Amino acid sequence: MAQDPFYLRYYVGHSGKHGHEFLEFEYSQGRLRYANNSNYRKESLIRKEMYISNLMVKELKRIVEASDITKEDDTNWPKRNIVGRQELEIRIGNDHIAFETAKIGSLVDVNESEDPDGLRVFYYLVQDLKCLIFSLISLHFKIKPI
Amino acid sequence: MDDDMNIDEGSGVVRRKGRGFKAGLTTENSTDEVQYERLESTHKEGESTKAARSVEGWIVLVTNVHEEATEEDVQDKFADYGQIKNLHLNLDRRTGYVKGYALVEYETHAEAQRAIDEASGTQLLDQTLQCDFAFVRPPPSAPKNQNRGGGGRQRRRSASPGAR
Repeated sequence: MAQDPFYLRYYVGHSGKHGHEFLEFEYSQGRLRYANNSNYRKESLIRKEMYISNLMVKELKRIVEASDITKEDDTNWPKRNIVGRQELEIRIGNDHIAFETAKIGSLVDVNESEDPDGLRVFYYLVQDLKCLIFSLISLHFKIKPI
Repeated sequence: MDDDMNIDEGSGVVRRKGRGFKAGLTTENSTDEVQYERLESTHKEGESTKAARSVEGWIVLVTNVHEEATEEDVQDKFADYGQIKNLHLNLDRRTGYVKGYALVEYETHAEAQRAIDEASGTQLLDQTLQCDFAFVRPPPSAPKNQNRGGGGRQRRRSASPGAR
């Protein structure tokens, strides 16, 4: 495991009247980290980390590989803007992607974009990853991540 | 597409792609030095294993779960090893079918271990399940948890693989 270059990071956030509000998770070398900063109504910053088993890592990789995200390209995706941005960085096998795009409100945004098929892959992968990570956090720490 | 090709030591050519590389792979917060909260593994129960206890019990990960499996299917199978305190059977957001994994919480290490030992390799809807603990203890090489004061400071996130 120590030699495995597999790496995954997702960030979504923006800076506005409530300060820098963001959600981020990162997997690297067995460690999964989660941070959520919502300044709205003075909610506090959450930062959690946990170490996950090899089988969990394998499942995370399977989800990434099944999505075929590394075959996509962010060139024609909506650019980051005042509303915020999303970043997805994944190193898996010999592929290393660092995609950046605007926040996506719904599938309407996806379908109206210049690259709906590619953006759809991103959109659903992010949802599936969030779903897994929120389950892990809520089960491990007994908190509601959002 | 303007992919950069980079020679990565030992593992051949790495294909890089994405606007994030041009942006320098940093978030606005990346210079912050902050602490992440970790669950202390002070439990005596299950001390012989590498598994880590969660706040209220032990979490078993089940993989290769059939996409048409129901919560009831998983409940029925895993209730044999102990009382299930919690079950997450997440769905694929695109298809609406089961994503392929389940997370099962038991109160005791013994129940979780039994589920792992006895359910691994068995079938559910013609698919062979794999089971293990979802969480492990930090490796000895990991930096000490800094929640309890002291210790050095830490970057908010580690350098991205390309920067190592």
